[in-house]
Amino acid sequence: MGGHDARPVVVLADDDEAITSNLAPFLDRAGFTVHIAPDGEAALDLVERLDPDGCILDVLMPRADGREVLRRLRAAGRWLPVVLLTQVGESGERAIALDEGADDYLNKPFDPYELLARLRAVLRRARPGRKPLSAAPTLRAGDLRMDRISRRAWLRDTELVLTPKAMLLLDYLITHPDELMSRDRLLEVLWGFDFPVGTRAVDNRIAELRRALGDDPGRPDWIATIPGQGYRFVASVDDRR
Amino acid sequence: MTRLARRTLLRVLAPLAAGVALAVVLQAAEPAVRLYTLISPSLLAGLAGLLGTGVLAGVTLMRRRAAIAAATAADAAVRRAATEATQDRLRFLMRLDHELKNPLTAIRAGLANIDQAGAAAADGSSAALASVSAQAARITRLVSDLRKLTDLETQEIEMAPVDLPGLVREVAEAAAEIPGASQRTIRVTVPQAPWPLPLIEGDRDLLFIAIQNLVANAVKFSAPGDTVEVRASEDDDGLLLEVADTGTGIPADEIGQVWQELARGRAARSLPGTGIGLALVRVIVARHEGRVAIRSREGQGTMVSIRLPVPDRARTAPDVAALRQHRDTPGKATV
Repeated sequence: MGGHDARPVVVLADDDEAITSNLAPFLDRAGFTVHIAPDGEAALDLVERLDPDGCILDVLMPRADGREVLRRLRAAGRWLPVVLLTQVGESGERAIALDEGADDYLNKPFDPYELLARLRAVLRRARPGRKPLSAAPTLRAGDLRMDRISRRAWLRDTELVLTPKAMLLLDYLITHPDELMSRDRLLEVLWGFDFPVGTRAVDNRIAELRRALGDDPGRPDWIATIPGQGYRFVASVDDRR
Repeated sequence: MTRLARRTLLRVLAPLAAGVALAVVLQAAEPAVRLYTLISPSLLAGLAGLLGTGVLAGVTLMRRRAAIAAATAADAAVRRAATEATQDRLRFLMRLDHELKNPLTAIRAGLANIDQAGAAAADGSSAALASVSAQAARITRLVSDLRKLTDLETQEIEMAPVDLPGLVREVAEAAAEIPGASQRTIRVTVPQAPWPLPLIEGDRDLLFIAIQNLVANAVKFSAPGDTVEVRASEDDDGLLLEVADTGTGIPADEIGQVWQELARGRAARSLPGTGIGLALVRVIVARHEGRVAIRSREGQGTMVSIRLPVPDRARTAPDVAALRQHRDTPGKATV
């Protein structure tokens, strides 16, 4: 896959030249070989030609938008890691980004260092030739079973009663296992924006999940607290039915 | 003539038409038959009176129906205009938000580039770079605030029973993180007698944002030594939450604009913020079918009140107790 040297090859697709001309050198300096695509068709061509390690897709692009590129990649059986750059602030957007098999997503205007962190994480988690966890309809982690399409979860045989936001949080955590998630990132996932002391809202939802799972924060089976940094989903996740 | 009036007229004329039809049939079948009746003049007068009343009642009813129909149509037009204005405003905010996002993403990436290359430190331009970064962060906050507003007006919100006293106490605890809060006296008053406050239906996180905004405003627009009071109470109209301060107050000519997005009073110009706080509070409360109001006197202080409906009067003490026992979140309040 990708380049022959150690530098991962990444396709960056965005129609705004101001963005690509600033992001490309930033990613290059961070150790990636970046190829720029100004629209969706160009992105598909580049993926076909270069077989890159990962892809960053803007959602709004001429000639095939980011979602269509993603759908066509997945339909062709290409499971390379994809980070979507979303920009519509509407509520459904965030969940949809994951349902379509994006490995992760960021809302514009994002912190470039956060993009770097997301990109490195999805590349590390990539399982060559296999679907990412985010494209799996059902997931298992120990006694926890999750149907991601219907947004339902079971602990052994008991269905978990969760608020929609807690379910969204569980979905994000279980599809990004073993990854340190800052409270700010989880707040962004839950709400799409930050607000003062909003990290309490994240802590409240984590508490709700732990209560439902019977997870002991002292000896966690699922969600571990990383003091001063955030949370990490520690159970190993499996996408077999 | 409206359709309603036409229908009423038809109904009034129907007996006449039936009478005429019957007369035609009788005339054709038995033209020679004559009917002689003996009737007292008083009964005749009574019948004539009854007929007159019937006609008058019919006319009055017809007129009233027409008036109601006209008023309903006018109401609907006003409501339609208001909805359209709201939609226009939302569309504008979304477009603005959208147009600002790409340039901001590019600016942040550019700044990260300079930062990463360590180019600025060498030639002493790091102060300028820090300033540009700070301004980019400021616009980012503004865009994020605008997005919050449009998001909150449109996105589905999660309704669940909320224990307002617990929430208010959590806001008061979190207030320690507001700059300057330690120099104000923050007092929370929640009634216990004759009964605890009922639960409300709402989105706890959003209500937290709303109340936190009000407390942060009270701290921001007051001086060390001032008092901030958060008071909850209940009456026949539902729950009332007041956040009051002994701060600088709002000039009379600015009070009308405080609920609008990006409204920043003269007193606020020297303070950080985007002027979105109260607009956000208004949207959140409106999404909870509640009402907001503000009273202020320049130099004396400000009081913002939030009215929230209580969904079901039957839900009182036992449910409240169960909910309070159930919560084990950090910053939990004991009531």
